[in-house]
Amino acid sequence: MSDQQAQAPAHQTLRLIVSWTLVAVLLGYGVIQTLVTAAKLFTG
Amino acid sequence: MAALLSRERIVAKPGFNRWLVPPAALAIHLSIGMAYGFSVFWLPLSKAIGITKSVPCPDGPTGLQGFFHLLVQTECDWKISTLGWMFTLFFVFLGSSAALFGAWVERGGPRRAGVVAAFCWTSGFLISALGVHLHQIWLMWLGSGVIGGIGLGLGYISPVSTLIKWFPDRPGLATGLAIMGFGGGALIASPLSRQLMAFYDPDYHPSVSGSVADGHALVLLFVTLGVLYFAIMMFGVFNVRVPAPGWRPEGFDPATVAAKPLVTTANVSAANSVRTRSFWLLWIVLFCNVTAGIGILEQASPMIQDFFREGGTSTVTVAAASGFVGVLSLFNMAGRFVWSSTSDLIGRKPMYMVYLGGGIVLYTLVATVGTAATALFVLLTGLIISFYGGGFATVPAYLRDLFGTFQVGAIHGRLLTAWSAAGVAGPLIINGFLDAEGKPGTLTAAAYRPALFTMVVILAIGFIANVMIRPVPERYHETSVPEEPLAVGDRSGS
Repeated sequence: MSDQQAQAPAHQTLRLIVSWTLVAVLLGYGVIQTLVTAAKLFTG
Repeated sequence: MAALLSRERIVAKPGFNRWLVPPAALAIHLSIGMAYGFSVFWLPLSKAIGITKSVPCPDGPTGLQGFFHLLVQTECDWKISTLGWMFTLFFVFLGSSAALFGAWVERGGPRRAGVVAAFCWTSGFLISALGVHLHQIWLMWLGSGVIGGIGLGLGYISPVSTLIKWFPDRPGLATGLAIMGFGGGALIASPLSRQLMAFYDPDYHPSVSGSVADGHALVLLFVTLGVLYFAIMMFGVFNVRVPAPGWRPEGFDPATVAAKPLVTTANVSAANSVRTRSFWLLWIVLFCNVTAGIGILEQASPMIQDFFREGGTSTVTVAAASGFVGVLSLFNMAGRFVWSSTSDLIGRKPMYMVYLGGGIVLYTLVATVGTAATALFVLLTGLIISFYGGGFATVPAYLRDLFGTFQVGAIHGRLLTAWSAAGVAGPLIINGFLDAEGKPGTLTAAAYRPALFTMVVILAIGFIANVMIRPVPERYHETSVPEEPLAVGDRSGS
């Protein structure tokens, strides 16, 4: 158990970064595109 | 293969970081949330044969014979109202599958359910691609509506119950994160679909009003989306883990949660939950909250134009109205995370009092002073939609509070039938009132008042139902399940 825990942090940090980056990029793309559309409410 | 997907296979090892689970859940919800963005296909699908304009159907058989003819005809374009049935089927099958298969999802675990959901969701796109290619509306309804709808139901509930078990200290935040993804799915789907259609059909220009992609581009679009969403869902499916029995977060004391009003440390089975008064009161709460939100969402674009019409001409342009729909989408998504997280601090029952009681005030203000300024109208309706989104995201944590974690996914599935019912009732109510006044997009604010005040009444019913919710009587508690699985183990994680 201690071996697993000792190996876990570095491996998991990479997985955390990859996982959160993927969903942040997807969601960020959607939010930016929607903000561009939403801006028309004030300019259109 | 079966072993690879089993619950036992995905029990987290000691030291597993629980913050890996929310992005896995988000990946699934971002994919299935695409359902909200399906309206982007209506215009090109309604001109799939004519391209520049819809080819109307010649006079043909009527009644049942006419219906069957509509299913298989290939000579004329589909009406948008015919395509819109896909949307209704989505939400009917979402609720039905979540209710029917909720217990199976709970038993088999989130990986098995997620894989089935991904196959259903992707099959829906591929069958729809065939439907466009052969111009068969029944294939569209069956593919996206029925099979895709089942994928929606399974994909919606499976990661949510898992998150509740990983975050017993902050269930509202955890489910808010995942269900925010469902709201965010539409934000991604609409622009992505337009860009893909432009890629597959060089003659299509998304920025030019009236420009539509051809049928071949639509076929390729559906295939691409099916493959893309399958990959994203599988990423989530293979990253999801369930906590080991007895696991609890470091420093978490279950007694602090149990001390809050309405929060139980006992467990109620899915079968018993539907025998309780609290389940049905919560069903009414969700039904009323969703119905009221749909009232705005259904007519958002014509509504803002009608509210600011002077002498027959609206001061809000079509482009600005589409911007308003975008603003509402952002409020919808943000409300899911912000309000659900807030419920961890103030409690689930008070949070729903804000959603429903606040909704009553906001709807009344929209009906009475909504025409005073565009900014005020946008703010009021935005808050209403944020409460609509918040209602979805907070309900799993409310169920956990009332019924425990034992079969919360299955209970959540049964509760989602309220969403299906509201998905049918909401548009019926708002369209029923507006159809009597004329055509949305040509009306004035006064035409909306009967519908808006009806929503106030619906919200008041929900508010009363929420007030009446009480802890589940002890006779419904399970005796063979540990009273509080979180408290019995000694393992902890981050």
